[in-house]
Amino acid sequence: MMAVRTILGLLLTVGCLGVAGRRLFFLYKVGRTGQPTGPEHHFDLGSAVKAELVEVAAQKKLLKWTGPGIAHFAVFWGFMILLFTVLEAFGGLVNPQFQIPIFGNYPWFGFIEDLFAMLCVAAIAAFVVIRIKEAPAGLGRRSRFFGSHLGPAWFVLFMIFNVVWTLLAYRGASINAQRVNELAGTPDAPLKFLQGAFASQWFASAFHGLGEHTNEILETVLLLLSLAVLLGFTIFVTYSKHLHIFLSIGNVAYARRPRALGALLPVYSDGKKVDFEDPGDDDLMGVGKIEDFTWKGLLDFGTCTECGRCQSQCPAWNTDKPLSPKVLIMALRDHALTKAPYLLAAESSTANGEAAASADGATANGIPATAVAEAERPLVGPMGDEEAHVGEHGITGEGVIPFDMLWSCTTCGACVEQCPVDIEHVDHIVDMRRYQVLMESAFPEEAGIMLRNLEHAGDPWGLGASMRLEWAEPLDFEVRVFGAEGEDKIPDDVDYLYWVGCAGALDDTAKRTARAVATLLHEAGVEFMVLGEGESCTGDPARRMGHEFLFQMLAMQNVETLNEAGAKRIVVTCAHCYNTLANEYPQVGGHYEVVHHTTLLARLVAEKKLTPIQRVDASVTYHDPCYLGRHNRIFAPPREVLGAVPGAVLTEMPRTKERSFCCGAGGARMWMDENLGTRINQNRADEAIATKASLITAACPFCITMLGDGVAQRQQEGGATGVEVTDVAEVLLRSIRPDLAETGAAPGADPA
Amino acid sequence: MKIVVLVKYVPEPTATWKFAPDLTVDRAGVEGRLSELDEYAVEQAAQLAEKGVASEVVFLTVGPAKATEGLRKALAIGGNTAVHVVDDAIHGSCALGTSLVLAKALEKTGYDLILTGMASTDAELSIVPQMVADRLGINQGTFAGELSVDGSSVTIRRDTDVATERVTIALPAIVSVTDQTGEARYPAFKAIMGAKKKPITTMSLADLGLSADQVGWAAASTKVVDVAPTPARTAGTIITDDGTGGSQVADFLADRGFI
Ligand SMILES: Cc1cc2nc3c(=O)[nH]c(=O)nc-3n(C[C@H](O)[C@H](O)[C@H](O)COP(=O)(O)OP(=O)(O)OC[C@H]3O[C@@H](n4cnc5c(N)ncnc54)[C@H](O)[C@@H]3O)c2cc1C
Ligand code: SF4
Ligand code: SF4
Repeated sequence: MMAVRTILGLLLTVGCLGVAGRRLFFLYKVGRTGQPTGPEHHFDLGSAVKAELVEVAAQKKLLKWTGPGIAHFAVFWGFMILLFTVLEAFGGLVNPQFQIPIFGNYPWFGFIEDLFAMLCVAAIAAFVVIRIKEAPAGLGRRSRFFGSHLGPAWFVLFMIFNVVWTLLAYRGASINAQRVNELAGTPDAPLKFLQGAFASQWFASAFHGLGEHTNEILETVLLLLSLAVLLGFTIFVTYSKHLHIFLSIGNVAYARRPRALGALLPVYSDGKKVDFEDPGDDDLMGVGKIEDFTWKGLLDFGTCTECGRCQSQCPAWNTDKPLSPKVLIMALRDHALTKAPYLLAAESSTANGEAAASADGATANGIPATAVAEAERPLVGPMGDEEAHVGEHGITGEGVIPFDMLWSCTTCGACVEQCPVDIEHVDHIVDMRRYQVLMESAFPEEAGIMLRNLEHAGDPWGLGASMRLEWAEPLDFEVRVFGAEGEDKIPDDVDYLYWVGCAGALDDTAKRTARAVATLLHEAGVEFMVLGEGESCTGDPARRMGHEFLFQMLAMQNVETLNEAGAKRIVVTCAHCYNTLANEYPQVGGHYEVVHHTTLLARLVAEKKLTPIQRVDASVTYHDPCYLGRHNRIFAPPREVLGAVPGAVLTEMPRTKERSFCCGAGGARMWMDENLGTRINQNRADEAIATKASLITAACPFCITMLGDGVAQRQQEGGATGVEVTDVAEVLLRSIRPDLAETGAAPGADPA
Repeated sequence: MKIVVLVKYVPEPTATWKFAPDLTVDRAGVEGRLSELDEYAVEQAAQLAEKGVASEVVFLTVGPAKATEGLRKALAIGGNTAVHVVDDAIHGSCALGTSLVLAKALEKTGYDLILTGMASTDAELSIVPQMVADRLGINQGTFAGELSVDGSSVTIRRDTDVATERVTIALPAIVSVTDQTGEARYPAFKAIMGAKKKPITTMSLADLGLSADQVGWAAASTKVVDVAPTPARTAGTIITDDGTGGSQVADFLADRGFI
């Protein structure tokens, strides 16, 4: 009997692990077809360990969503502890009295094992409730599971449940069988968990009446059954989205730290930065085929759990556009797996020094026709593909990623922020855009105007450098302009170089903010200087559109200007300028201490260099610009500034700080038409209006334009009476120099 | 069929221009670009090449050394080769001089069809194509909003205030195109890199058989006597509608002879 059980068990184990192992090896080979990563993804033990502890062990990101977070925490730790129980079961295959050294058969250990098993069951019940309540069948696109594979998800829950109960039942029978041993005159045989393992005890009492012999048989049968369920589940996992059980550990270990937000990565080809002045002939410019992604990108796709947290926060998805970050990742994974046999054949034939498998030759090589057909699909679909849309069962259309899906992204980073397994959506989206722009010149046409303007005039509106000082003309003090007095270095008495930004210099509403900040700095006695005509666009919109070449040109030119002027400390009023100057210019040799005006103003208030005295009796709400908040974690300073203004009462919007909802302008969307779904800026403006605030504040000129348009729309319809959209700095100015504050509607929404 | 496109490298319109002591634009002190209106001609030529109508597209410019940048830009949009006529003696040429140089260069390159922009974005004379046509003694079509070419003729659509004309012109001919022909494509980085490998031939006045006294500042038929900055923009007139807004607007326009 024992021998049969051992042999059967071992055969089962070897067979199942063999199948699972083959699949994992295949997946490993698919991953190897990806490109090498740049240094941001190189392994760093310290940050990897920390991330594993925080994100995997402590489940910090999941716990941000309390209900599902706790349930997942329970399943995760339930399964971790269950591994001990599983180990005991494997031991039981050979020796019915097997115990794990140290843990032995102490009641506390039995108790913990059973407790966590029951937690697993409770969590499964919670998941069932969540899945029913949030089923796409009822909620449609509002469901975070819309577009996920629902069948397999239910099957996984069912299987986890089966793993738990079969193990407990086996333990129950095992208890009975051992009691039988004892009665049969082997009293030194250890009694397993008589007191502690309460759940196993339930099964033991249920089976007790069956008698000793039956329990012995039952023990063997249940042991084999539980192992079969477990091993079967393992195989299933390797073929399903539950692969994250294995892959997330690796994905978290190799993720960009602190997070894949802020700077975009340079364009890497073969793991090395592409030199746009003299690119190599074979350099990859972004991602045009699935195998152009790095192996870490492919690992991302495999790791997605289809949880839909990203989708639930995505501004594009929430305004009925054809982009869900989840569906995008899933589509890339499905495409990679379908195309895989083709990729692997191509890889081995190149390895043998032969030409890569051509589409025709491939079928002859025994590659499935589906793989060949998949290989012929463009990664990004053509513009105006009418078939392309995102349905409940994924994407239809010619391209793996429809054109409009790729271009709907505002790069707001809400998806990256939410993803519990550190998937780097924004980087992948921008990499695909890079290929589209640099190699195919395929992008929404209207954005071409902005690109041309950046190229020729150095600003997105095409107004030109000569207009860059007009904003300062109404000020009653002199703004110092670098070079105006013949200086070729920023003088020592200058505290900050004030980077005004294209909007601050050229957009009428933003000019007001530029003046407010200048006035406040002046009031506080901060010496500052501007570059005037020497400034040009930082390149942010070009970069986020994927036009890395143009970004590099603008960035290098600006860095040269800044370095020659000897700039050290820079203050900016635009969230995008802030992000680019602080996080991206180091990539092109520009290292400065960059501070956002809200941070500087908060500091000046704290140091009593600015004292808000005048009451501004108003209810205020604050919109976190994506590139200030999520991308750069500047949440507190703007709120501190508002908090210092007597009379101003801050009411937060429901979606705030890390979960702030994009205004719709990021990712160069500012320069593209928004004619799919509803308007993002309207969605956010309505949320702000709903707080009943009379002052809607933000800290980025583009957010202010977007929210201003949204509020103006409602005002035209007779709503939102008396609501103003303005920068935090202007509110502070009203409290410090009310005589200089410019209130009311901006002088015309469009720049001259 | 060989198409030659005349392209001008102009000072960037949004930049601040400075003038040299001889009252010509100080070209070294200002960024330049391919004249935006010439991009339309470049695009038309690129399309004709794609359609298989043109077997060869050459871009021709007369301009300072940096004008090669403009040629590279054109070559990124399409075309095969470019010719750059550069000579210090050309500095300060008027339209007569410029057209003479262009005509001589065209005789060298050969052509079946010459395409030009409707006007340059700097001097905006809109006369060079006419002068070139005259000097070469070939047919000319101006302000084409649309064009199509068959073996021996080019047919253009001209939109005037009173009528839309369709004109067929026997080749060889010179045709200037308007912005109605459609925006130039945005060249992909690949194409920009590819353009760096396309050949650009430089020619001097001597190569064209011209002498320095036929062109340039000294020989110019027009002389600039003075330059002054444009007066700053003044605030516009704001009419608040108190019931008479309509008639006030009408008066405003009538005063200025618009209605
Ligand atoms: C009063 C006045 C003074 C001037 N003074 C100077 C001066 O001091 N220094 C100076 O450099 N210029 C000067 N110019 C400009 C110069 O004379 C003209 O730029 C030149 O003759 C071409 O005329 P245009 O630019 O008006 O071309 P247009 O007739 O408007 O151009 C029509 C088309 O002709 C083609 N074309 C025009 N010029 C060229 C070219 N150079 N190469 C290739 N194709 C071309 C293009 O296809 C263009 O779209 C002056 C112009 C005027 C009106
Ligand atoms: S970055 Fe923002 S818009 Fe883009 S996919 Fe993520 S959540 Fe959606
Ligand atoms: S990408 Fe991340 S957040 Fe989105 S569904 Fe996948 S695992 Fe969830």
